[in-house]
Amino acid sequence: MLVAGVDVGSTQTKAVIITGEHEILGRGLCSTGAKLADAGETAFNLALEQTEFAEPDVAFVVGTGYGRFNIDFGDAQVTEISCHARGAVHLFPGTRSVLDIGGQDTKAIKVTADGQVVDFNMNDKCAAGTGRFLGAASDALEIPLGELGPLALAAKNPVKMTTTCTVFAESEILGWMAKGRRIEDVVMGVHNSIASRSVSLLRRVGIEPEITFTGGVTRNTAMVELISELVGSRVNTNEESHYCGAIGAALYALDQVLTGAGTERGLPT
Amino acid sequence: METQKVAIRPALSQAGNTRTASRALMDNWWKQLGEADAAAQPVANTFVMGSLAEVLNTFDIPMSFPEIAALQTAVKGKAMDYLLAAEDLGYSPDICGYVKVDIGLHATGRDHPLGKYPKPGMVVASNMCNTYIKWAEVWERQYGCPVFVLDLPGWRGTGFEYDSSSETFRNDVKYVEGQIRDLISLSAEVSGKKFDIDKLREILGNVNRMSELYQSILAMNKNKPAPFNALTEGINYMGIANILRGLPEGVEFMETVLAELEERVAHGVGALTDERYRLLLVGTACYTNFRDFVGMFERWDGVFVASEYMSYAGGGIDRGLHYDLSRPIESLAEQILITSQPSMSGIFFSHEWQAKMAEEYDVDGICYHGVKSCRTTAAGLPDAREWLLNNAGVPGLFIQSDLVDSRLWAEAQMRNRIDAFFESLQSRRVQSGV
Ligand code: SF4
Repeated sequence: MLVAGVDVGSTQTKAVIITGEHEILGRGLCSTGAKLADAGETAFNLALEQTEFAEPDVAFVVGTGYGRFNIDFGDAQVTEISCHARGAVHLFPGTRSVLDIGGQDTKAIKVTADGQVVDFNMNDKCAAGTGRFLGAASDALEIPLGELGPLALAAKNPVKMTTTCTVFAESEILGWMAKGRRIEDVVMGVHNSIASRSVSLLRRVGIEPEITFTGGVTRNTAMVELISELVGSRVNTNEESHYCGAIGAALYALDQVLTGAGTERGLPT
Repeated sequence: METQKVAIRPALSQAGNTRTASRALMDNWWKQLGEADAAAQPVANTFVMGSLAEVLNTFDIPMSFPEIAALQTAVKGKAMDYLLAAEDLGYSPDICGYVKVDIGLHATGRDHPLGKYPKPGMVVASNMCNTYIKWAEVWERQYGCPVFVLDLPGWRGTGFEYDSSSETFRNDVKYVEGQIRDLISLSAEVSGKKFDIDKLREILGNVNRMSELYQSILAMNKNKPAPFNALTEGINYMGIANILRGLPEGVEFMETVLAELEERVAHGVGALTDERYRLLLVGTACYTNFRDFVGMFERWDGVFVASEYMSYAGGGIDRGLHYDLSRPIESLAEQILITSQPSMSGIFFSHEWQAKMAEEYDVDGICYHGVKSCRTTAAGLPDAREWLLNNAGVPGLFIQSDLVDSRLWAEAQMRNRIDAFFESLQSRRVQSGV
């Protein structure tokens, strides 16, 4: 029996297909773009292609992320806060605090041993301190997102970014460049700014080890280093962390099937 | 298309009485303001916190409440027009939205969606919000009207309650009483009427009665299911409590509300068909997207059983305010001092009140709604939220938007946070086996 989780985030859409024994059989990833429903379907189909099964074999699909209500083949929706919490505890059972830096939201979540949310804190509704800030740096400097982390690690004397506004960040970045600062120092300044804002969200819910870092930004080595440094211990990440929200969604889908809860209240269809 | 659930309920004889009465009273209020304006009769601009309606009504001075008028423009979907008109004049987007709606109304011919918005003939403000004073200064310059600012002594280090036997309190009473006497003189001058202490007594007696009834109304929501939604219906009770404070129609309205709620309780009828989560609201609602805001909670069968604004915007009537009619002016001063403390010192002590309310009303969670353009009510909310979670075990949700500025409303983010909060309430419930 298979279930799926589809996480339609503001920038990327992720999908996983898992078995009743929690084995991940397929992963799908694509840009979200303007058509949220299409993105969900694309990611789901990409994940399905990695398995030897077809859509009717997937018993239940839970959608999460901002576009969760646009997944028309989904059976239920759960917020990404609950899904990241659940996914993080699944990936790292010792998890008690979760940090997810998303495209437009950063979430700090306190969880129980079985992945239930005790409390959460999110950035104010502007995109300060979120993944979008890295996007702004990538655009301003014309450096692919994936290269920002390694570049930042070469910094010797990082600049201090003063703006928290993602729109103004681009001009500040260009301003630092115009002053002749080294590109790696500017990029590290951007990383520092995001890391400190994210960790302060985490402090507000109370940092309790183990801390698991989730979402796409976990692939950025500099950010993993910085967050670990700021919280004073190594944060958990692995190659599945990027899919954590989708994994959590799939686990909720599995619950639905196993408990026969179907469309039980609280997971509104 | 999403259709609504129809509540299958017993037929109630009082159903709709409150709604009909509150509409009629509100319409009448606007009508009177329009008539006063047309007849060039002086109208007093006053505020929900510290209105001093007792004095103004003694002189039959019509009262305009710019805060109520501003929120009504938002509910009617018109606030943005006025906000932009004020911003065109140079008022910053950061300034209290209520102020800007008012400025915009004055700048565009004073045509409020519900009637003529009158020119102020006098202003009664207090220091319960700094903005009141600056706002009053704008009218003073614009219309040359007299401004009375009630200066209330603030935090005395004892939390919400004053020790009314202390020397400090007695001195404060003298200080406030002196100011009330000044207002009496000013009101006599503006209205051209003589001060009638027996009329003041009568009004204070009506406020006493309103306060008793209002307390009983609030307490109705200790029942399960809660008979009214403190967010939607509560705002109407609050509005009438302010505009008719101390008047016989105000007392009558409170009686109507209570009778309707008592009947609901007797028949087990709740504000929601299926109440699943009981919530306390701290802060105010977002009036621009009022229905959407309420719907995000009702979708989860969450009902607001109590709300902080039904307290701080009620001029103490939620706290068993009782005037001693044998010494009306002194008693008015005492009660203002005592009942203003929660607002004056709220930032330091509101968590205590919230913990008490959470217990008395058996709430599942608290929604803290930070108003972007109002620091007076929004400051300290995240701290209170954490305190309640860590010390009283009551989970809280922190969201932000605005009273009247739809540019500060972000539907997807709002809904996401609210849904996540309910999911966590749901999992708590599953874990505790309730
Ligand atoms: S309390 Fe807030 S909303 Fe009311 S006048 Fe003061 S700043 Fe404006």
